[in-house]
Amino acid sequence: MSTEKLKETIQKVFPDVETVICWQEGFDKLHTTPLFMTASAQEAKVVWNPLCVQNLTSYLPSMKKKVAVVVKGCDSRTIVQFMEEGLIDRNNVVIIGIPCRGVVSVKKVLRAVDFQPIEDVKCVDDTVIVKTASGEKTLKVSDVWPDKCATCQYPTPVIYDYLIGDAIESDKPAESVYEDVREFETKTLEERKAYFEREFGKCIRCYACRNACPMCVCQDSCIAETRDPHWITQKLSAQEKMMFHMIHSIHLAGRCVECGECERVCPMDIPVAKIKKKINAEMKYLYDYTTGANPDDKPPMYTFNVDEAKIKEHKL
Amino acid sequence: MAKTGFLPKEKIKDFLDALSKDAQVHVPVKEGDIVAFKPYSADAEICLTRPANTSPKAVIYPQCDKLLSFEYTKDPEDNKKTSITLSDKRDYPNAVIFGCRPCDAKGFTIFDKVFVTADYVDPYYREHREKTTIISLACETPFAGCFCVAVDGGPADKVGSDVLMTDVEKGYYLESLTEKGDKVLSLPMIQEGASYQAAAQKIQTEAAAKVKNPLPKGATEKVNPTLFDTDEFWQQVAAKCISCGACTYLCPTCYCFNITDEAARDKGERIRTWDACMFQHFTLETSGHNPRPVKSRRLRQRVGHKFAYYPEKYDGVIACCGCGRCIRHCPVSVDISEIVGYLKDPGQDPKTWIERNTKAAKDGSL
Amino acid sequence: MTENCTCNGDNNPYLPEIATVTRIIEETPNIKSFQVVFNDPERMKNFTFEPGQVGQLSLFGVGEATFVINSPPTRMEYLQFSVMKAGEVTSALHTIYEGDQIGVRAPLGNYFPYEDMKGKNILFVGGGIGMAPLRTLILYMLDNRADYKDITIIYGARTPPDLCYKDDLKEWEERSDVNLILTVDNEFPGWDKRVGFVPTVLKEVAPKWFETIAITCGPPIMIKFVLEGLAGLNFPDENIITTLEARMKCGIGICGRCNMGHKYICKDGPVFTLAQLNELPEI
Repeated sequence: MSTEKLKETIQKVFPDVETVICWQEGFDKLHTTPLFMTASAQEAKVVWNPLCVQNLTSYLPSMKKKVAVVVKGCDSRTIVQFMEEGLIDRNNVVIIGIPCRGVVSVKKVLRAVDFQPIEDVKCVDDTVIVKTASGEKTLKVSDVWPDKCATCQYPTPVIYDYLIGDAIESDKPAESVYEDVREFETKTLEERKAYFEREFGKCIRCYACRNACPMCVCQDSCIAETRDPHWITQKLSAQEKMMFHMIHSIHLAGRCVECGECERVCPMDIPVAKIKKKINAEMKYLYDYTTGANPDDKPPMYTFNVDEAKIKEHKL
Repeated sequence: MAKTGFLPKEKIKDFLDALSKDAQVHVPVKEGDIVAFKPYSADAEICLTRPANTSPKAVIYPQCDKLLSFEYTKDPEDNKKTSITLSDKRDYPNAVIFGCRPCDAKGFTIFDKVFVTADYVDPYYREHREKTTIISLACETPFAGCFCVAVDGGPADKVGSDVLMTDVEKGYYLESLTEKGDKVLSLPMIQEGASYQAAAQKIQTEAAAKVKNPLPKGATEKVNPTLFDTDEFWQQVAAKCISCGACTYLCPTCYCFNITDEAARDKGERIRTWDACMFQHFTLETSGHNPRPVKSRRLRQRVGHKFAYYPEKYDGVIACCGCGRCIRHCPVSVDISEIVGYLKDPGQDPKTWIERNTKAAKDGSL
Repeated sequence: MTENCTCNGDNNPYLPEIATVTRIIEETPNIKSFQVVFNDPERMKNFTFEPGQVGQLSLFGVGEATFVINSPPTRMEYLQFSVMKAGEVTSALHTIYEGDQIGVRAPLGNYFPYEDMKGKNILFVGGGIGMAPLRTLILYMLDNRADYKDITIIYGARTPPDLCYKDDLKEWEERSDVNLILTVDNEFPGWDKRVGFVPTVLKEVAPKWFETIAITCGPPIMIKFVLEGLAGLNFPDENIITTLEARMKCGIGICGRCNMGHKYICKDGPVFTLAQLNELPEI
């Protein structure tokens, strides 16, 4: 029923825009893939279900003509952040918002069926029914959703021109958002070092995380690859890899909207979002700033106060 | 008659230990949710039930390989004079890749034609290659994205492997395909294999039948040249691509590389590292001109190289083994078999393609 | 100290040979020519190459870049490379002195089909640093003058100081068996010769196409208009030759960067006829 309403809205909007970015079935039953509509007949391919994981807003800064895009709550925060940073022209984007009760993590679904080949997937209410050679398994979306959904504060898009269905309130406490960061901080420095060396040692520097990040708009002249300045070599030590991830995370300070794309796309299953979440937690504490919440906000790294309430600079 | 053998499952560790005596053995190891090729160790959790996330190409073609080292020395008598010492000394160990799939092994045959030619021999590649033995495991079932049968391959394809293993319940039926393979089969824990041949044959035949060919019926041998040169086609199929290098780095047949000098003061190394034609800066020239500035052109290059340019140069051999990794791990599920399906569709008319996609984004961003 | 460079087959095609810079000529404010001699005298004695082939020059610690060998094989006291200051490697090359050491991987690529050009008229059309590959062939032909009929050279640059090889230009002007036409883009104090962009001058000079081979090299925009001009003058595509460039790394047709279809600019080029280019897919 949501899908029908979505299709109707897309049909309504399509004549006025160059393309509508939405989701369609992917290469197998477990995957969806972005659809860039170019003909109204393609509306038949549009889908909306917990498999619609991609953040479609990452294409917006490079699109010059007027487009429409379908966004979940987390995706909509990206658009707000784009507006705060002047990266898009609001008049060039038609936002079709769709309230969301959570998507699935493909990796967690596969884990739940021991990585057997998937024959079929059906989405029914708040479950996904997965069929493999050993039979059907019903999984609750809340058992296989990515971490971001477990603490979601924005189930309804924060900005939209059309809303498909009724708004949903979050039923998750705000303090839960950075619980995992605080828990990690209880580890000793030695434990943390071992963790990062092990996890980031797996990195193959494919830059899927960087390119999937909607806020990472300087990916074409990235410090990871440039020789002027030559801060990172092409060698593959854990230090080089960590250096790239650190710089990438710091470039996202006060900008990361926690859409989770970076972790979703990593082919080596590295928890790349951890450092970004830590920095976000600090941003929240120091400046009481939440990314992607209000288009009129100023990102804290874009401005300064002579005296910051929570930073004791002068030791007076 | 090719040599055959049988390796009981309880003897796998002994087998790998024996191979480790004079070679570095690389096995697919489960780490959390992923499976990656790692050097074998006694406590490694070997996983053979699904294809590894990464291909084993890093064993023969390391992601970072030293080409040469250089050092500047000042003349003690005349400090205006410096001399340079270069060294391309290398000491690669013997290696064994155990438990890769036939598609992975086929990938190395694609490299062979490029790196070892009549005109030039890449000595680094050749030495790694000659010192490596490949023991592949035949697949019993296809996984998401697999399409080896559409690119002249198969779940029990023998091309590129030294030994092919087939799981026959109690152990593995082994077929030696080369001299290196014969050596492997002469290890003491390998038993006689002839009695398992029929069972292995049955499994191999059944597996081949299970792999679906995603290409349309009557798919043409060569790609449709008009569609290949249609900008609107590439803009459409590349619209969702995010220009990362995941597909390239996981691919068993991709080999584009970069050469950079990494130095500190007067000493340093010239290294070769993997690169990807999908990256925006891959063809970027110093002047600022970029012959492939948009991702539609770069995707055209990647698909074209594998399915048009390489086959044209090398007698129709396709530079893709159908392993499906690029499809499985692409952040937005770009499906190369779908793209090739369009290009080899006998009924495809480029004019109709453009008409059917009339609002193809022409704003230059694709 | 190092093994012989391998570009002729057996050894390591990535290993450069060390050479000493014997002379640096400041051609223009941003172009220098480097004359180099291999440190190994045997190698220098036995080195052969064809006009049009290139070499990769190394500044270890900085990197490598491709330059045409723009001295001819008929004058082998040194190898000359002309370098325009543009990026990391070229800027670093512009800081070295005579007597300094560099690496050389040469010869690479294909060469001008000078055998097939024998007995024909030759038209050279060059712009700026594009004169570098043309110079090799011009000098080679002048050293084998009897093999070729009329030689016409149209060469232009932005301003007179930007013209390369000023000594050669003077020599060629004085020769009666070479027709040299120089031009600069705009009027310039002290310049009393032609003024106008190279494609415009080409139209004015209107060389005949019959039994003439045209070879052109220069900035991409100039080549585009020159090719149009030559087509307008009825030059057949097989008789128009140009040299291409692209970002290069390995120089031996492997790394996948400079290919047009299955042909690599570093190995199957950089010399191509227009007829060959028409057959190849765009890069």
